[in-house]
Amino acid sequence: MSRWSLFFIVLLLGLGLGLLYGWVINPVSYQDTTLDSLRIDYKTDYTLMVAEVYHQSNDLEWAMNRLTLLKDKSPLHSIEESLKFAAQAEYTLPDMFLLRDLHNALKENN
Amino acid sequence: MDQNRGNWYILTGLILGLILGVVYSWVISPVSQVDTHPSLLRTDYKDIYRSLISRAYQFNNNLPRAEARLELMGDDEPALALAAQAQRFLAEGGDNEMAIILANLSAAIQNAELADNPIPATVTPAADPEITPTASSETGENGGNNPEITAVTTEHPDWTPTPAPTESPPFILQDSSPICDPTLGESLIQVIATNGAGDGIPGVAIQIALETDPNEIFYTGLKPELGLGYADFSAEPGLTYQVEIPDSGLIVSEIEVPTCQNESEESYWGSWEIYITHPN
Repeated sequence: MSRWSLFFIVLLLGLGLGLLYGWVINPVSYQDTTLDSLRIDYKTDYTLMVAEVYHQSNDLEWAMNRLTLLKDKSPLHSIEESLKFAAQAEYTLPDMFLLRDLHNALKENN
Repeated sequence: MDQNRGNWYILTGLILGLILGVVYSWVISPVSQVDTHPSLLRTDYKDIYRSLISRAYQFNNNLPRAEARLELMGDDEPALALAAQAQRFLAEGGDNEMAIILANLSAAIQNAELADNPIPATVTPAADPEITPTASSETGENGGNNPEITAVTTEHPDWTPTPAPTESPPFILQDSSPICDPTLGESLIQVIATNGAGDGIPGVAIQIALETDPNEIFYTGLKPELGLGYADFSAEPGLTYQVEIPDSGLIVSEIEVPTCQNESEESYWGSWEIYITHPN
């Protein structure tokens, strides 16, 4: 085996070890994240809080502003995703109704 | 000589590969930040999250749910974190209503914690005709993938959302006097509310008025670093204030900023200190 072949094999081995270290063993630490990076269950709870407030305040503009922080395609998309997860996770009916109310309001507004 | 060169280039290749791999995985293509936890949010987003929790509590009055949500923020003392945020909010000239909403949840949590050491039975809950008693039902899981969020659901028929004032037990006046403390830096009306054991009581609503014209309500416990029962209000020299503890019938009037003198006999404006305590 030539020197160059051996060099590239070892280089690739080092590269693999470096990637393993940087992606698995010691990845970039998660600090100072934003709302859009939240896991879907936390996002859904966030959306539910917006829906709880909207249910009493009827302030759709405020609700849209809060949902926009999730940086989805649109506030309507955020609530649709939340509804999907809530149904899958068997959220209680009152909570589903709250999400549905906000969903309907956003849909009418579109 | 050739043999030695051979060993070195293998080591060089390995180190070079390692460096390239780490640079790629840390800088060029780091693991994307998805599926994160609320406790990892940036400070300003945490503030938004806490505000939302407080607003939702204002409307659903579901304290266990609010506490479960606050737990996700990873604050050591959620009530104090809320109080601190309310203070920060006011200091930055934010919306007074939002600060009160944050303070209300903070007070509710602290009052719930005080339930282990309850204030005696003379406490009369303030009647609020606008809030209908509601049926609460614990419903178990609220999301199979999220065991951390407690699913306590309150059925809430259409009540009128009212920023609920904290229940104020009947306090008695222990002391009300002018003080000269040059270290305060400004003229304050300081209120310290304690229970029979001398512990500070947070969440006590205090109404301050210029003469008899109701002006502003503030709460104890919003400056936890100065004590849970502490509250203060910036006073202006030359004006006469009145402090009232709503629902307790306690009124302290004729409060004025005193004139004080320091060691060099220079004049400065002092403050006023009011101690109130529960009789038992």
